[in-house]
Amino acid sequence: MSKLLNYSLRKILICAGIVLVLSIPIYYFAISRLWQYEMDEHNVMLTTEAAREDSFLIIGAVTLLSVIFFIFLLGALIVMNRILSKKMWQPFYESLAEIRAFNLNQPHDIRFKKTGITEFDDLNTSLEKLLTANINIYNQQKEFADNASHELQTPLAVVQSKLDLLSQSEQLSDAQFQLIEEALLALSRVSRINKNLLLLTKIENSQFADKEQVNLSAALEELLSQLSFYFEEKELSLHLDITPGVMVEGNRILLEILLGNLLTNAVRHSSTPGEVHLSLHAGYISIKNSGKTPLLEEQLFKRFAITSSTTSGSGLGLALIKQISGRYGWKVEYKFESGFHVFRIGF
Amino acid sequence: MKILIIEDEPELAKSIAVYLREEGYSCDFAADYDEALEKIRACNYDCILLDIMLPGGNGLAIVEELKQLKKDAGTIIISAKNSLDDRIKGLHLGADDYISKPFYLSELSARIFSVIRRRQLGNVNIIEQNELKVDVLGKEVTIHDKPVLLTKKEFGLLLLLISNANRVLSKAALAEHISGAGVVDFDSYDHVYAHIKNLKKKLHDGGCGNYLRTIYGTGYKWEI
Repeated sequence: MSKLLNYSLRKILICAGIVLVLSIPIYYFAISRLWQYEMDEHNVMLTTEAAREDSFLIIGAVTLLSVIFFIFLLGALIVMNRILSKKMWQPFYESLAEIRAFNLNQPHDIRFKKTGITEFDDLNTSLEKLLTANINIYNQQKEFADNASHELQTPLAVVQSKLDLLSQSEQLSDAQFQLIEEALLALSRVSRINKNLLLLTKIENSQFADKEQVNLSAALEELLSQLSFYFEEKELSLHLDITPGVMVEGNRILLEILLGNLLTNAVRHSSTPGEVHLSLHAGYISIKNSGKTPLLEEQLFKRFAITSSTTSGSGLGLALIKQISGRYGWKVEYKFESGFHVFRIGF
Repeated sequence: MKILIIEDEPELAKSIAVYLREEGYSCDFAADYDEALEKIRACNYDCILLDIMLPGGNGLAIVEELKQLKKDAGTIIISAKNSLDDRIKGLHLGADDYISKPFYLSELSARIFSVIRRRQLGNVNIIEQNELKVDVLGKEVTIHDKPVLLTKKEFGLLLLLISNANRVLSKAALAEHISGAGVVDFDSYDHVYAHIKNLKKKLHDGGCGNYLRTIYGTGYKWEI
């Protein structure tokens, strides 16, 4: 890739070179005609030998002069180009830097400088319009997710409490109680989705700003002890390879959510009986669980991408993992390897 | 036992009151900030349920006011926010517990049960039912004066069941209680059955009567 200005510089130089090369025979022709005319005027006769010598001299002188001018021109053009690119393209580079620094997650007020050049000012106004529109839509969408989730909590609480009371009524038949139970289970799934959506919005809004050094190994052990019951229940054999004392900088709550989601995911989507391999070392964590078919990688981390009626997950677990990792610049990788789903996060 | 329900959603407040009255509590209502302040100044409550998103002011200010009035009431914050920040702030200000919407009435009742007992000294903290003795604060269970070892989850379940004695608890409510407020967001309902089975077995092996019954096929009930 070449810079825009170098591109034009090369063209100009080639053009100048061609003009100067073409000028050599014209100069030669003009000077020798002039020379001939002068000699004829003063009746000077030359031997053929001397005439040839003269013409060589003229060719030499003209070529030398052309080359010298070409070098001058070259220098002048390069210097001019430098000055021009600095001055003329300055606003362009400024706008470019501004756009590069722009992050939709942390939008600052974008302001392009007035350049006084029509084209650049047009470009900047258009960019400003485009970005402002995007920021507004993004904010509205975030606000909507936030408000909707908040506003849903209270009606959800009302429904749940009414079902709760209904289940206390005397003389319920088994079938009636089953109906209430099923409604409650579905409702609890709704509230879990809602809670995770709220959490996602909060992470997007950077509400978990404070950072500390977190002992990831210890946090993981603690979570494993909480979850051991589920591993046993699903007949999953757990193979651990954990370096003690792995420290990672981040928000404790977010890191625990990250680990919790990785683990519950592995338990939830393992075949029964199955195997889970977990390794944590300085620099990365990787979790492998047995599975049948590879998952679609590009769909995997999207919200609600792989929810199905057979799993009771919220469909937001991997989106949360992605969001939290993204926040700290960590890379999440997925692959399917000889009957195992492998998730790896590099710190 | 007197309970004040500070909640601006009347339907929710009503449900809570219906459930708690059945348990023998008497309930008062306050639907906004001023009414809440008025009530806590005028009366003494054993426990206050407080929705922190109130019309007319922040519920957290009520926790502070309670502290200044030196009222000895247990406070449970009810929040639609479910934010850990709020939880920490509320507990730091002196609230006793925090529950986020939506919640099961049985869960709320168990929390009230614990909060009231935690604030009182003496024998109230030990629940006795024939051969079974449960120390709420010490988290110890004895049957015929012999200790029974329960896991944290099993003890929690037992407490939930006992504090909702003679009520029907759905599998969903038990599952919610087991997965708790932690970050591990588990949602398989099969584990409820396994936990209950373990608890039943331990109680039975210790020589405890069959108080924990299955009802309607999937519900559970602690009978006194």
